Amino acid sequence: MSHTQATIEMMFPSELGYEKIARDAIGTLARNMGFDAERVEDLRTALSEACINAIEHGNQRQAHLRIHITCTISRNRLVIVVSDEGLRFHPASRLATASIEQKLAGLASTRGMGLMLIGQLVDECGFLPSRPGQGNHFRLAMYNPPRRSATA
Amino acid sequence: MIDDELKVTTRQRDGVWIIDLEGDVTTFAEDAITSAYEKVTAEGAKYVIINSRQSDYINSAGIAILIGVVTEVNRKGQKLAISGLSAHFQKIFRMVGLAQYADIYAGEDEAVEAMHKLVKAA
Repeated sequence: MSHTQATIEMMFPSELGYEKIARDAIGTLARNMGFDAERVEDLRTALSEACINAIEHGNQRQAHLRIHITCTISRNRLVIVVSDEGLRFHPASRLATASIEQKLAGLASTRGMGLMLIGQLVDECGFLPSRPGQGNHFRLAMYNPPRRSATA
Repeated sequence: MIDDELKVTTRQRDGVWIIDLEGDVTTFAEDAITSAYEKVTAEGAKYVIINSRQSDYINSAGIAILIGVVTEVNRKGQKLAISGLSAHFQKIFRMVGLAQYADIYAGEDEAVEAMHKLVKAA
């Protein structure tokens, strides 16, 4: 694979299940970039969780709305932006995740772990600035070799 | 359009009930997994293993279903172990805290052996 910057784009309907296609594609891409097997799995899981958030929250599972994925590849970095059409704005301030104890006690939904997982699996992640009606744009980045920080 | 295929079966092995999962564990798995758990519980299961076989895709919605099972296991005083996860999904289960409430084993034999130790100690 060339070391010059390249961009790959994917687009699919807001139906659960399509994220598996994006997950497989990103796995192939990351392997070709030389990421090790564990980091490829981390990225596959992180991307599928970002897509599920976009399908369920951003686009409210309305199949006619699109999920758009842009992958920007450079020598040592893969940056992915997952965008929805933003029926529901997803403010970055809503990132708190309930603990497993709260979930087991029935005090919180058993769902809502996706963003927490993504944050632990990739080097950088976060929502890009956006306004209501402009869609949500969630950015993930992985470096090879790894570089860990908390924000986009 | 994209099928989410999950085959869920139950069996008993040396006094331990095993729920085998083959396929994707996602939001669409809820009825199948919950029904299997209710079935083994109705059979009197005290020791339950959820055994993942060839599950290449487990997402947070699938993990949420398993958290629901753990809630019921705790309520009913049963013991639960999870086996057959890849190293990646073992890591994911630790990240979400599920490994604190269900012992995670690489293989079914190891999980059954651990359950037998619990049976003898009881």
